[in-house]
Amino acid sequence: MAADFLFQVFPASGLPIYRQLVDQVRRHVASGRLTPGDFLPSVRQVAIELEVNHMTVSKAYSLLERDGLVELVRGQGMRVNNRPDNAGPETLRDRQEQLAPIARQLVAAAYQLSLNEKQLRQLLDRVLKEFNGK
Amino acid sequence: MNQVILAMQAVSKIYGYRPVLDRLSLEIPAGTVVGLLGKNGAGKTTLLRCALGLAKPDHGTVTTLGEAAWNLSASAKQQLGYVPQSPQLYPWMKVRHIISYTGSFYFRWNPALVDRLTAEWDIPLERRAGNLSVGEAQKLALVLALGHEPELLVLDEPVASLDPSARREFLKVVLDIAAAGNRSVIFSTHITSDLERVADRVAILQQGKISFFGELGDLKDQIKRLRLTSPNVLPERLELPGILRQRTEGKNALVTTRCHSPELVDQIESQWQASVEVQDLNLEEIFLELHDE
Repeated sequence: MAADFLFQVFPASGLPIYRQLVDQVRRHVASGRLTPGDFLPSVRQVAIELEVNHMTVSKAYSLLERDGLVELVRGQGMRVNNRPDNAGPETLRDRQEQLAPIARQLVAAAYQLSLNEKQLRQLLDRVLKEFNGK
Repeated sequence: MNQVILAMQAVSKIYGYRPVLDRLSLEIPAGTVVGLLGKNGAGKTTLLRCALGLAKPDHGTVTTLGEAAWNLSASAKQQLGYVPQSPQLYPWMKVRHIISYTGSFYFRWNPALVDRLTAEWDIPLERRAGNLSVGEAQKLALVLALGHEPELLVLDEPVASLDPSARREFLKVVLDIAAAGNRSVIFSTHITSDLERVADRVAILQQGKISFFGELGDLKDQIKRLRLTSPNVLPERLELPGILRQRTEGKNALVTTRCHSPELVDQIESQWQASVEVQDLNLEEIFLELHDE
């Protein structure tokens, strides 16, 4: 899969880029978009397509490897591991739970901006439309 | 191949009575892209000039590519590329001639690379250097610094005068150089967003010293803003490690620490029965927090 389909980085975020990549691989595995046996794009490919430093990508990949999510296959790259928690999509509830911290931040920020529930939903609808239009 | 591309030990450089570098130490391993960050006037240019042997420190030692920086051999200089803040080009010479003139000084000059870059960056070969725009002159200077494929490339505020698209292209080139293997890049900037993608390490220059040197990711992991909410009134000053800034208002406190860890959060939660919200800071915010001490 092309790197820019798999990943989206926000360099100016407070979350280090390597953590963004780690989180995104976890999410793709959780959703079943990446399944055991799939290969991640090479470090070089990700670095070029996302225009980020290759050491940053290496760091993300080695953390994923350390945690057993992927393994290095010589000459072929990083392969999603075949292990129980990588098998198939996680439950809806688990996946929602992974997003909960971000949702809490979003709701808190909306409160600070005095956006009511309806206005927040409107915004979400607009952003979803933009995302689907891509 | 040197394992350490640049080593500075207790380097001081004093202009008049003002120490610009004050017993500064820094060690940069080979194969890294280092962003040197500091306010205007923090001494970034002085540091780079000392590293290149263009300025002589008053105290301390500087070792560049394994040699004393002030007495670099010709072969070490063949391994250096440098683009100063305002590059000096011969205004009467045509771009094409400047390129061949510069190339003639180097044993290892890569004409194919130079042709590719000048074409990609739309540098007009037949124009006289004096008639180039600021951005074009900057790009030409960069081509001249890259032509001999140096082991160490030093760039002083390289993108300050480039428009956003040229800037993006330029950053791509730096990434290419970094990906190509064991070459190193040190570039100074006060624009934090340039650094975030490209650099794998940051050096922050503050009051003549390096106040942080390490991976950008580590910096972001360590410096966090903590928002405390407690059922009780919190003390005016919380005794915590690595505090950069704190403000308490009754039962709420806002603390920026440079020693963030899950254990620290646990400690706060048990010590003051406070709930803690951890806020990530981006490089620009971190830079501002560090300069607010």
